[in-house]
Amino acid sequence: MKALAISMHEAWLATLMAGFMSNTSSKQKLFDFSDILFRHFTWIEAEMVMAKEPYDYNREAIPIKVEKLSVILHNIIQRLNQIDLQLAVVSPDLSHRITHDIQYITGVLAQLPDEEVTAFNTLRKLDNIELSSEATDALTLFLFEESYKEYELIMIYNYLKAHSDDAYINRIFQILVDESFFHLKSFGDMMAKMGILGVPRTIFKEMYQVEDIEAFFLAGIDEELAAKEECKKLSDAVATNSPQLAQFFDFINNQENYHISLMKDALAHWEKEKNV
Amino acid sequence: MTVDAQLIEHMMEPKNYGTLENSNSEGLGKNPENGEKVIVYLQVMEEEGESVIEDISFQAIGCSTTIVAGSMITQEARGLSFKGATNLITATMKILDKVPPEDAACSEMVALALKASLETYRLRQEESDHPSVTYQISNDCTPKEEEKN
Repeated sequence: MKALAISMHEAWLATLMAGFMSNTSSKQKLFDFSDILFRHFTWIEAEMVMAKEPYDYNREAIPIKVEKLSVILHNIIQRLNQIDLQLAVVSPDLSHRITHDIQYITGVLAQLPDEEVTAFNTLRKLDNIELSSEATDALTLFLFEESYKEYELIMIYNYLKAHSDDAYINRIFQILVDESFFHLKSFGDMMAKMGILGVPRTIFKEMYQVEDIEAFFLAGIDEELAAKEECKKLSDAVATNSPQLAQFFDFINNQENYHISLMKDALAHWEKEKNV
Repeated sequence: MTVDAQLIEHMMEPKNYGTLENSNSEGLGKNPENGEKVIVYLQVMEEEGESVIEDISFQAIGCSTTIVAGSMITQEARGLSFKGATNLITATMKILDKVPPEDAACSEMVALALKASLETYRLRQEESDHPSVTYQISNDCTPKEEEKN
């Protein structure tokens, strides 16, 4: 099952990246499909947890630099067809679900219109927004740093959720996964528009195989505070050139407040449960 | 950090990132202040009496600067003999002496992880299950203005 989970993890990310590359109505389809593949990944993971099969989130690098969207779409179809051949290792119901999804998704992907891909041209320009070189550099560094962090958070909260049967904490983990998905999609889309799209790197095991959950929550709160600071700095850096972009980063900054509140709730709940 | 084409290339597609199957040595560079660290994995071959880095990869808990430094230094180190790799580490540390500590910390962590992995390999020649060597950085990556607060 571990090999299947790795293949699904890679297919999910490749499809998400293809979504960033598209500038047509195909984008939403690719995002929807990538969400489905992520859910497949979590369902495979749940079966691994039930079977007590050891696993981690290591995976191969995913080459995505293409000039035509059709090239990565073809690659995703190949990945999914390969996954279809590995499904005997999961339960029959899950296998049935995934195989039918793959049949539909590959059919749609094969029909999507081709597009020129500009997500790797490194021009670092955003439509209708003129940024100074300092603001462009600040935005570039922010996007690389934060897109990785959002991917990291998705994987950390997902792993912790997969290994917890506490409904209260799992509700919080799920909210944080959903929120990080929104941030990752927003930042990834911006990176593609600027021509600097890259796949987030793999994560160290110890980041998600957490031994001290209290220390994890405390560090998480500090990290959210640091993220707020980064958003504030960036908002200030781009405000002169683009009030619209500054507003977007203030909007993201404000969302972090609720994340901090949720993590404090989770920490208080954890401490209470520990003392029962 | 000034962002140029080379830096963007390394950020978009870091070279040699990840674990290394068939590695026979690894070493860690750590920042004790904030928990950031770099692991360098090596596949070393003995060629004509010399230890040579056949393959190399790295993983990091750190910022984009660390990833860029890891990508560049591992590119340079691939194919080098241990003597060449030691010269690379020395040259890197000399350059880092001239830059502010907060800018030097990330690259120092990578250079020390490479140094530690060479040392681990040497020690494993005498004791095959010797644990990985770890070095801690001397530079502090806390920006000066943050230090004051």
